[in-house]
Amino acid sequence: MEERDLINLLKQKDRDAFKTVVEAWQDMVFNTALGILQNEEDAEDTAQEVFIQVFESIDTFKEESKLSTWIYRITVSKSLDNIRKKKAKKRLSFLKSFFKEDGQVIEPPDFLHPGIKLENKENAKALFKAMEKLPPNQKTAFVLNKMEGLSYQEVGEIMEISSSAVDSLLQRGRQNLKKELKTQFEAIND
Amino acid sequence: MKSKMDIGKKVDDALHSIDAIERASVPPFFFTRLEARMQKGKTFWEKASVLLTNPIFAFGSVCLILFFNVYVIATAPSGMNIAQQTNDLATVDEYSQVSSNLFEFENLKP
Repeated sequence: MEERDLINLLKQKDRDAFKTVVEAWQDMVFNTALGILQNEEDAEDTAQEVFIQVFESIDTFKEESKLSTWIYRITVSKSLDNIRKKKAKKRLSFLKSFFKEDGQVIEPPDFLHPGIKLENKENAKALFKAMEKLPPNQKTAFVLNKMEGLSYQEVGEIMEISSSAVDSLLQRGRQNLKKELKTQFEAIND
Repeated sequence: MKSKMDIGKKVDDALHSIDAIERASVPPFFFTRLEARMQKGKTFWEKASVLLTNPIFAFGSVCLILFFNVYVIATAPSGMNIAQQTNDLATVDEYSQVSSNLFEFENLKP
């Protein structure tokens, strides 16, 4: 089925068309959300929110870009929103811990992506930990380029910036990751 | 010196650890759960929070409140002032011009 026909059917709230869209892009959405959020439950929750928005807002889709680009944009925006919510919750639980006798903030365990090869497990854990410290735009560019395998141009279309801006974001991201990884490994050596 | 080189190598290895990463797949029955969530719909408070956090709604509410304030001030009788209101209240107090009280009519019958 042509993408245009699929969009038209989706605008008519056709269930089969919606199922086709979900099945075609569910892994793409889940993997992107997982890279940004680093938690499988949150990633699934975000993926559901993304498809609900796709279904509800398809009328606002102007077809100036590919449907997948639009879905990627929603995924990135929802994932970053969820990070902000999680940070706010974390701050609140940190404050609450002051008022409890055994007040301890439970840190989540280190994240490991299910698609990582066994021999890279430990290194990847360190990398994902370092990725958490990246600013949102650098993290987004890194996830889309490294985990989704998108070109600079595709990343630029999703983030609505030029390819050279993506290049510069990725370079700064790599530098920040190197710094953070160095700090992590030095702490282990000490 | 050696440890610095080791750390440098570790950093490079970590950066390349996701080079051959495979795409993660959604857990089974994702579409079924998605449909269930869509059928359940949003709760009242979820809908309310979406509305209340909408900047257009917030700005509109402030404008509406300001409009009513201006309207009340503009349409108030020009001769009416606080001193007159205070005098009116004092007169009511002095002559006990209170509204009828139900208890006064109790036990009228023997």
